[in-house]
Order: sequence, then structure tokens, then C-alpha cells
Amino acid sequence: MARQDALQGSLPLLVLKLLARRGPLHGYGITVQIEGMSNETLRVQEGSLYPALHRLEEAKWIKARWAKTDSGRKARVYEITAAGRSQLEAEEDRWKAISAAVGQILKEA
Amino acid sequence: MSLWSRMANVWRGRSVDRELDEELQFHIDGRMRELMADGMTREAAAVEVARRFGNRLRLREESRDVKLMPWLDDLGRDVSYGLRTLRRTPVFTAVALLTLALGIGANTAIFSIVNGVILRPLDFPKPEQLMYLTTEFPALGLTRNPLSVQEYLEFRKINRSFAAVGAYRTMGGAYTTGEVNLTAGDRPLRVRSVSVDAHLLNTLGVQPAQGRFFSEEETNRAGGLAPPLAILSYELWQIVFGGQPVVGQALNVEGRLHEIIGIMPSGIDVMDNRTAIWLPLGLPAAIRQDRGFHILHVIGRLKDGVTAQAAQTELNAFLENWVERTGSSDHVPTNRPARAADHTLRIEPLQDAIVGDARSSIWILQVAVAFVLLIACANLANLLTARAESRRREFAVRAALGASRSRLLRQMMTEGVMLCVAGGMLGLWLARIAVQGLIRAYPTSVPRMSEISIDLFVLLFALGVSMATGVLFSLAPVAQGRMNDLVTAFKEGGDRGASGAGRHHIRRALVVVEVALAVMLVIGAGLLIRTVYNLTSVDAGFDRSRLVTFSMTLAEPYDPDTRGPAYQRLLDKLRVAPGVQGAAVMSGLPPNRSPEAIPTRIENHTAADGSAVEIVDYYQFVMGDYFETMGVPIVAGRSFEPADAASPARVVIVNETLANRIWKGRNPIGQRVRPNLSAAIGFGGNSWHTVIGVARDVKQSGVEKDTATELYVSLDQLAMAAPTMNVVLRTILPPAALSRTLERLVREVDAAVPIVRLRDMESVFAESIRRPRLLAQLLGAFAGLALLLAAVGTYGVLSYMATERRREIGIRIALGAARSSVVALVMKQGLQLTIIGVVVGLAGALWLNRLIASVLFGVQPTDVATMGTVIATITIVAAIACWLPAWRACRLDPNAVLRAD
Repeated sequence: MARQDALQGSLPLLVLKLLARRGPLHGYGITVQIEGMSNETLRVQEGSLYPALHRLEEAKWIKARWAKTDSGRKARVYEITAAGRSQLEAEEDRWKAISAAVGQILKEA
Repeated sequence: MSLWSRMANVWRGRSVDRELDEELQFHIDGRMRELMADGMTREAAAVEVARRFGNRLRLREESRDVKLMPWLDDLGRDVSYGLRTLRRTPVFTAVALLTLALGIGANTAIFSIVNGVILRPLDFPKPEQLMYLTTEFPALGLTRNPLSVQEYLEFRKINRSFAAVGAYRTMGGAYTTGEVNLTAGDRPLRVRSVSVDAHLLNTLGVQPAQGRFFSEEETNRAGGLAPPLAILSYELWQIVFGGQPVVGQALNVEGRLHEIIGIMPSGIDVMDNRTAIWLPLGLPAAIRQDRGFHILHVIGRLKDGVTAQAAQTELNAFLENWVERTGSSDHVPTNRPARAADHTLRIEPLQDAIVGDARSSIWILQVAVAFVLLIACANLANLLTARAESRRREFAVRAALGASRSRLLRQMMTEGVMLCVAGGMLGLWLARIAVQGLIRAYPTSVPRMSEISIDLFVLLFALGVSMATGVLFSLAPVAQGRMNDLVTAFKEGGDRGASGAGRHHIRRALVVVEVALAVMLVIGAGLLIRTVYNLTSVDAGFDRSRLVTFSMTLAEPYDPDTRGPAYQRLLDKLRVAPGVQGAAVMSGLPPNRSPEAIPTRIENHTAADGSAVEIVDYYQFVMGDYFETMGVPIVAGRSFEPADAASPARVVIVNETLANRIWKGRNPIGQRVRPNLSAAIGFGGNSWHTVIGVARDVKQSGVEKDTATELYVSLDQLAMAAPTMNVVLRTILPPAALSRTLERLVREVDAAVPIVRLRDMESVFAESIRRPRLLAQLLGAFAGLALLLAAVGTYGVLSYMATERRREIGIRIALGAARSSVVALVMKQGLQLTIIGVVVGLAGALWLNRLIASVLFGVQPTDVATMGTVIATITIVAAIACWLPAWRACRLDPNAVLRAD
């Protein structure tokens, strides 16, 4: 539970960032990347991931298409859009501002 | 995602699910492999994955929610829920549907008239460019009069504003009455005709459906005799010839063989003449020279980009340079005292000319029927509000279970709109029946009647009205501010909340509005009924009971000299026919004649405008015992006598109006006039006639108009007759009983001549007031409906309010209040509202004066008697509507009421 909470609200930001950096990924790929890069600190709950992906798609920040993987299976891969990139920038700034503020409080309180 | 793909998702729900499933399966497979690579067993891995995914079904739901338009889902639920609710209350549903169907049906039917007659453009290319040219005679008070031939020909030549100008004629020439005898097959037939020149067909811009139109030469023969050619209307071709090829064949028209050269396209007509046969125009030289002879109806097509004002300016200039062009100052207003023959030229859009003064009648009907719908809406709003009250618990439960306010609101709206759409469809069905009935019942009361149909525009109107109605009346409970109450009702516990006075504001307002609208409608209907009564009771100057009339035409090869004896023979046979007490023949049938305005010389008299001739409005050519048969009293002198026929001394009779205008109190008997017979009827010369009698005024062109001047000429004396004459019989038999005898007698005179329009004089009068009658009947029906609906509405509201006060009334009765005081209490409440409604309605009726004044006769829009009757009627109806609930309230058993709580 704690680990899921840690992700609360920041999942869309992470998804956008990953897609911007790593190019098109499928849902499973996104969880693997997040978990791998955070050394398993952050674990993505599948129950949250897919609704989040579809909301992002709905907002036109990412778009999806069906593609063949290396193993020849059909997979739905997500790609960031131009609107998604500008959204990412805004979200990143906001996140930095918040974490800076939180850090400040933790240090001085 | 676009709106479209969202909507598509609703229908594609299943395949969306499948795509999601596939995507998730891919994820699950990947996770399983990873876990198993870490050393888990397949089973353990599966358990772990399931834990991480949680409820897969819920996941799917959540993902799907993003994709689907949730409100469409809700709508489906609202509709099915609404259907169930409406089915549970069948009486409410039936009453609501019936009210709506009647309201929307009546509105749609009347709107289809508005649409077909006023809104829909004429069925010609670029119809807005078509203009109708008319002359106006200010001194005679004549408007929309035809043009003279010469001014038409001149104007056509020099005009710049019109791309084409054409003319037609329905009267005169070889085809005298706008109707012709056809012999098609074995029976004679009489159809409406029009004589046109080639330019007219060109102006209208239509092409023949078959064959060809007249050429310029064929309609402009120097001798003036039109060649025997005919173009059939599509409808005549279908009905009489069954659509068989007929172009090039011969057809017997007025006794002459005509070649059929073409067929008109379907639905083409000129000036709502209901033309069945189109004939070439013939203009004899004598007519071409006579500037005083106004016989041509002229239609012009404006050039592209030329406005009607520009064309009117040109027409005015045409009149201004009249004197230098023609070398005469006759016929146009110049710098001298106005003369009777002076006229001006005017144009108006062809469609306006066709619709004419029917426009105001049609709009009156539309307003009236809209009022009925508003009253129906008010009633339904009441019903729905009452129902909302009784559904407080249901809404409270749903609110407690988490339904949002807006969600409940939408539920109510959905039900309202559903009712209205269903009511609208029923209404549309009713409207179809009503339109067919209207066309059958009033075939000629309104122009373009045959073009009235329920087209796409009318359908859209019906749909729009239904939706608007639905939203309007389902909002009423909301407007009452009850939604909040509804939602909190559950917490309050009871379903009989405190009834604050303010809560009934909307209800009271609805009653006032209903009564006010009903008052306006009933006053309108009352005024129209008075109008029709006044019109029917006008003294037309003759005794119209037990009179039967028909018309007939003796066409070529008859000439004036052979027609006289032929009609005489017929009269001799008719006089001795069983059941016939008197018979006569006349040229014009009162009271439906058109003014003739014939310049007439009168001895020792100069007209008011200084002219040597006086304009006499009507000449009536009579044969037989005209005055005795018609029952027209001779007020001075004597009637025509058989001895006059043989006497060389020509005699005439004048009507009272003519005698008073010319001789102003002096004795008219023995005075001499010189009737212009050749202008009036085409034969008889112009000689001096002596006045032998004065006849009582007979209404000529409409009972609502003042009687104009009239001169009676004896055809017995001339021993001639016009081709078409009206026969009139004084008889105790109805027309149907006479028809066989009459047909036989006419056949004995000439087997090829049909009897036309055999009817009694009462029907002739009914026809002359057909539009006020249509208005009175339809308005009366609408007013009756409005009165009924308003009474039901008042009753409903009052019953409801009385029920709400049951406790209070019960206590009053228990404390010893008299039953009568309880009745008074409840009735007071209702009558107060009625009085306010009546006052508002009266104000509204006064405000609508202008609309209705133009169609009234002999009664002012503010007629006190009508208003008084209407107020009394409404008050009585309202009193009954209020008394019923009051009576019920006073019979309450206080024990039962008080114990119920």
C-alpha cells in the first residue's frame, strides 16, 4: 500500500517522462521501466496504470497503436504527442516546485 | 477522442472490452514470465498477478468509463425508467398524451397552412423576381385592377426594370367568363380557363411538360382572333384523358375544335386561378385602342439585381410622361381635379398578391392555435408538478442512494420530452387527417389550398414544438424550486410537508395564464361569430329563401341574336316546370359580382369630376320576371313589362343608390340615360333609354360592401343575350330535386350545354362569406378547446390546493364552521385567480385588436356585448370548475381527516 501511495498523483508525470525519453512503450514495458529505474522502490499497481493510460490518451497527451513486439506478439504501444510534451514540461516544473517546497519544510521544520 | 468515436464506443462496447482484455493479457503474460524467472511456481505467480491487478472486472469498468460517454448510458437508463413510470400511471400518461397530441396536432395542421400558403415560395424559378402589376383608381376606390391593353403594350416595350412582362385575361373575348365548356368523351364539362400571351409563359419561366407553348405570333394576331389552340393543365390531362398521349389531337372547347399543343407541368397555375386549360390571348383592334378598358392582368419578372422599388419608380415615371407620350391627359392624375378614370400603377410581389388578405386570417389562426398549445402546456406543467409532489418519496430515496440533483432533474426532463415526442408523433398523425379535412371542407377559402401539405419543414416544426413543449412543462416543477425540497423530503420524514403560501405561486400563475389565454381566444371567436352573424343577416336587397340558381353558357356557333331566343325558350319551359313559381335570367349573380365601372352618359348631368360621363359600377342584364322572381321591390315607377319587349321606346331601371347619386331627390322617372351597351356586353348599340323605375338596392360584390350604382337593362327588349347567363328560379324544391328536370329542359334547348353550379341562393351567400366562416368555425373550435382545457386546469389546481388544506378544513368543520363557509373559502381562492386571468385576458385582447380588426364586419374589436358575454361565460365555467372541489371539501368527514394524521 505504501508504495502505491508513493506514486499517487505522479504516475501520469512518470509515464509521460518515460515515453518522452524512451520512445514508444507498451503498458507492461512502462511498469518494468519504472520499477527498474527506481530500484523497485516504486511499484506500479496495474489497477491504476491502465485507467491512467486511458485518461492520458483521452486528454490526447499520448496516443496508442497496435504493434508487433520482437517476439511477434501483438501489443498496444503508447507514444507521447506534442501536446503531451508541453504537458510534461508543465508537470515537471510543478513537481520540482512541490518537491523543493517539501524538501525545504523537511529540512527546516 | 472525438465525440463521434465516443458515441461509437457505446455501440462498440463489446469490442472495446475485447481490446482491453487483449492488452491486459499481454501485460499479465509478461509479469508471469518475470515472476517465474525469479523462481516462483506458475500457480504462485498467477496468485501474485491476480493480487496486483485487483478486480479485473472493476479495472475494465474504470478503463471503459473513460472511453464511453457516460451520459448516453444514463440516458438509456432514464428512458427505460421513464417508460416504466409512465406505464405505472396510465391515466396520467393518457391524459398527457391526448392533450399534447391535440395541441401539437392542431398547431402542425395550421402551420402547414402558414407554410404552404405564406412561407413556401411559388413553384416558379426565382419566384421572388415575379411582380404583379395592377392599377388603382383613387376616385373609385378600386385597387388591384387590371391594366388597359395599350398601356400594357407600351410598358412592355419601354420598360427597363423587367426582364420579361406578360399578360393574361380570364374574362372577355371569345372565352367570356374564365370558364369554358369542354366536350371530352360523351359528357359536357366546364373547366376554369385563362387566356395568356406568349410573354406570360416566358415570364413565369416554366417549360411545357409535353408539346410546346404558344408562339408570340399566335397570341398577337392582328385581327385579334386567337387561333384555336389549347394547352391542358397536367391535372386536367390526368383526370380527363387519363394521361394518354393527346398532344396534336383536337378538343371541343366552347363549340369550336381546338388543337392541343402542349401539357403544363404539374401544379402550375397563375394567380391561384385553378386553371385547367390555357388558351391563347386574342386582342381585337377596338380593345387595343381603348385606354379606358382595363382587362389585362400583368405579371413581370424583374431583371437580376433590380429591386422592386426601382421598378415602382420606373412605373411612376411611366405615368408622369404619359401626357407627352400619348398626347392625352386622360386616365392619369395630372394638374387638374381628379377624375374617376384616373389611375396609378402599382407592383407587389406575385406571392403577396396571391395570398392577399388571407394572410391576416392565417396568422390569426396560428396565434389562436399557439394559445391552445400554451394552455395545454400549462395544464401539463400542473399535472407534472402534482406528480412530482407525489413522487417526493421516490426522489428522496434515490437522492439518499446517491443520485445527484442534476441527475434527478434530468430524469424529470427525460420523462417530459419522451411524453412530448410521443404526443408529437400522435399529433403529426392527427395533423395529417386535419389537413386533409381542411382541404376538403374549405377548398377555396384560402389561396394555394392545394399546395398545403406536411413537408419536411412542417415536420421540423412539429418536432421543434414537441421538444420545446417537453422542456417547457417539465421545467415547471423545477422552477417551483421544489427540487431541493424533493431531495430533502426524506429527511423530513413525512410526505405531507408544510404548505407555505409561496409554494403555490407557479400554480396560481399557471391558472391565471390559462384563463387569460382562454379569454383572448373566446373573445376572438365571439367577435368572428358576430361577424358571420352580421354578414348572414345583412339585407342583400332581395328575398333569398326558396331561390335556386345555376349558370350556363351558349358558346359559338351562337351569336347574340340567336342566344336571346334560346334563353327565351328555356325560360318558357322553366316557368311551367313543376314546383317552379317564377324564372328569370341575369348577367351577374349577386352578391358575388366583380365591379364593371362602365362610363355612361346621363342627360342633363355632368359627373362630379367635370366629365361628361358618369361611371356606373354595375350593369345588370335581365330577362323574364327578374324583380318578381328575385323578390326585389320596385320603390318608384314600374318594373319591366312584357309590352316593353315590342315597344321601340328603350327603357331602363336604376337602383336607389344610382337614383340618389345622380338626381339627388328629384324624380328619376322619365330621365334619360345612354347606357354603353357595347362596352358592357358587346352588342346593343348606344341609344337613349328612359328610366321607368327605381329598384331597391341589391348587394353586388360582397354583402360587407356598400351597394354601388347599378343599371338594369332588359334583354327582352334587346332580344339578345350574353353567352353566359345565370338562371334563377323561385321554387319550393331543393336543387337536388330539381336537377333532373333542369338537365332535361336545358338539353331540350341544346344537348351540348352543361348546367354549372346548380345550388340554392343560401349556398351562394355562404360562399361569399367563406373566409369569415372558416375563421369563425376554426376559432370557435379552438376557443372551445381552450375553454375546456382551462376549466380542467383550474379544477385540477383548485382540487390540489383544497386537498392540501384538508386538515385545516377538517378542523374548521370540527369547530363548527358551516359547510357553506367552507365552499365559499375554496371558491374564493379559485375565483380570485379567475378574475385576475380575465383582466389580463381582456388587456391581451385589446392589445391584439389590430390583428383581428381587419377581418371583422359590423362589430368593433372592443364590442362591449361580446366582451360581456365572454366574461360571463368564462366566469360560469370557472365557477363550475371551482365549485366541484369546494363541494368535495365541504363534505369532508373531519373525523376521518384528523385521524389520518
